[in-house]
Amino acid sequence: MEELKRVAEKVEKGKHLEVPEEVRKALDKGIPPYDILISGLQAGLAVIGERFKRDECFIPEVLLSARAMHAGIDLLRPLLAQAGTEPFAKIVLGTVKDDLHDIGKNMVGMMLEGSGFRVVDIGINVPADRFAEVVQKEGASILAMSALLSTTMPYLKTTIDALKEKGIRDRVKVLVGGAPVTEEYAMAVGADGFAPDAARAVDKAKELLNIRA
Amino acid sequence: MKPRERFLKAIRREEADRVPQLVRPGKEVSQRLSGIFGVSGHELGIRIGNDAIVCQVGINAIMEMAKADLKEGETFTSEWGVVYQRQSGFDNPIEHPLKTREDLKTYVFPDPNAPRRLDEVREVMKKYHKRYGVIVDLSSSLFEPSMAHLRGMENFLMDCYDDPAWAGSLLDGLADYYSQLGTRAIEAGVDVVRIGDDIGVQTGMLIPQDLWRELVRPRMKRMIQTFKKANKEIVILYHSCGDFSPVIPDLIEIGVEFLSTMQPVGKMDLARIKKEFGDRVAFKGGLDTQQLLPNGSPQQVREGVKDIIKTLAPGGGYVFMPAHMLYQDVPTENIWAMLEAVKDYGRYPLKF
Repeated sequence: MEELKRVAEKVEKGKHLEVPEEVRKALDKGIPPYDILISGLQAGLAVIGERFKRDECFIPEVLLSARAMHAGIDLLRPLLAQAGTEPFAKIVLGTVKDDLHDIGKNMVGMMLEGSGFRVVDIGINVPADRFAEVVQKEGASILAMSALLSTTMPYLKTTIDALKEKGIRDRVKVLVGGAPVTEEYAMAVGADGFAPDAARAVDKAKELLNIRA
Repeated sequence: MKPRERFLKAIRREEADRVPQLVRPGKEVSQRLSGIFGVSGHELGIRIGNDAIVCQVGINAIMEMAKADLKEGETFTSEWGVVYQRQSGFDNPIEHPLKTREDLKTYVFPDPNAPRRLDEVREVMKKYHKRYGVIVDLSSSLFEPSMAHLRGMENFLMDCYDDPAWAGSLLDGLADYYSQLGTRAIEAGVDVVRIGDDIGVQTGMLIPQDLWRELVRPRMKRMIQTFKKANKEIVILYHSCGDFSPVIPDLIEIGVEFLSTMQPVGKMDLARIKKEFGDRVAFKGGLDTQQLLPNGSPQQVREGVKDIIKTLAPGGGYVFMPAHMLYQDVPTENIWAMLEAVKDYGRYPLKF
């Protein structure tokens, strides 16, 4: 549909000021809000995500597209709530203790949200116990953690240990990432999945939950 | 051969008696080594075999060197109006003075000519310059301080697209500040001016190279021209973490002759870079600090040092250094293994 294509294009180009107008036009045409979300907003961000994975675009371009997508989601949110649209699953997201790195984690959050997950972002410098507590309280399907320093990487394991202590390790999938983290390291500390960038974090999250989309 | 002579030969791409060294311990490692050697600061660098001394006078000095007595979780505000918090032994910027773009209109940059600003440089010159090379470090210089310190990363990355002229005027303010500060340091007689500006990440450039060319390159060129005017012999060192390989030709064009940190990530193929640009620039750094130094065995560290010397040191043009400062995750035995290996493998003529 022409209207959805235009929504997607504006998201792809990061035009956050123009997205709401295109979303309104699509609504005026009678296109259901859920379709605008999936085939317009999320489709636009997915294009950027794919390009990012192939090293064909850069971090600021992902930020701009994510901001544009959110400008559309803000408009759709009340309508989606009315329609009772359910997100895929809940993901608790944060940067580990003693680590104040924000942007990579935020990008992962934006991409996950843009792909239909409900993201509970609990911020940076998150102690292991707090991760475990929120995972339990929210009944999250995935815990996504980031460590950006070689000195804070050990907290990935500390947090996984805290899940075990609470007896909830088998109820949640653990996905980890961050500049110095490798697949090998992730497996060694007992994570379920590793992603080297935000776009691949989405793929991995879907894979861990057997979501085909 | 005096350390300074060794260092200067290397940065002029000549072989000295051996590969010079410049290893920079972070706060915790400094304390650990001070406990062993009984000396600290620049004396500690000399004791572990460094051939040159770095004086940090840029905005990062506040973050990396100051406030030794700050406790974990405590905060302070710098003269730039940035709030820092100590976390993991590192002072991280958590609040930025330019909350909106409008704020730049009333923002007052610190005075580059403030009376005591270069006290340390002058002292180091007096005490060490006869024997050791001296680098004045202006990091972080243009793009990085805009993003990390003054405006916030996500904000500034989007500003570059939303309002490139505004981003340019912030970069101009920094270029003016550092042009003056660097010139004063050159007048004090330093050998090298270090411009530090992180634009690389683990997998490639943080921003598209065209954007860097449009916004950063002309300002950096202006700074370098000012420095060369103050002393045409001055050597310009450029540092970025991560992969900045796409702009190496640009850096050479605008007058950079010395590249650091050569982190072995992304497309930073050090052998290719040495082959392609080694006739025009010298290198510093290269030894992996993300996996090898914290997690490798002493034997693996030795092999790593050997490899890096084999790759970057032939024909001169290399100063040994890990690809970053040494942080608390590096075991002491790996530090010894590294320092020993530099001595064992770094003697010219190289035996490989």
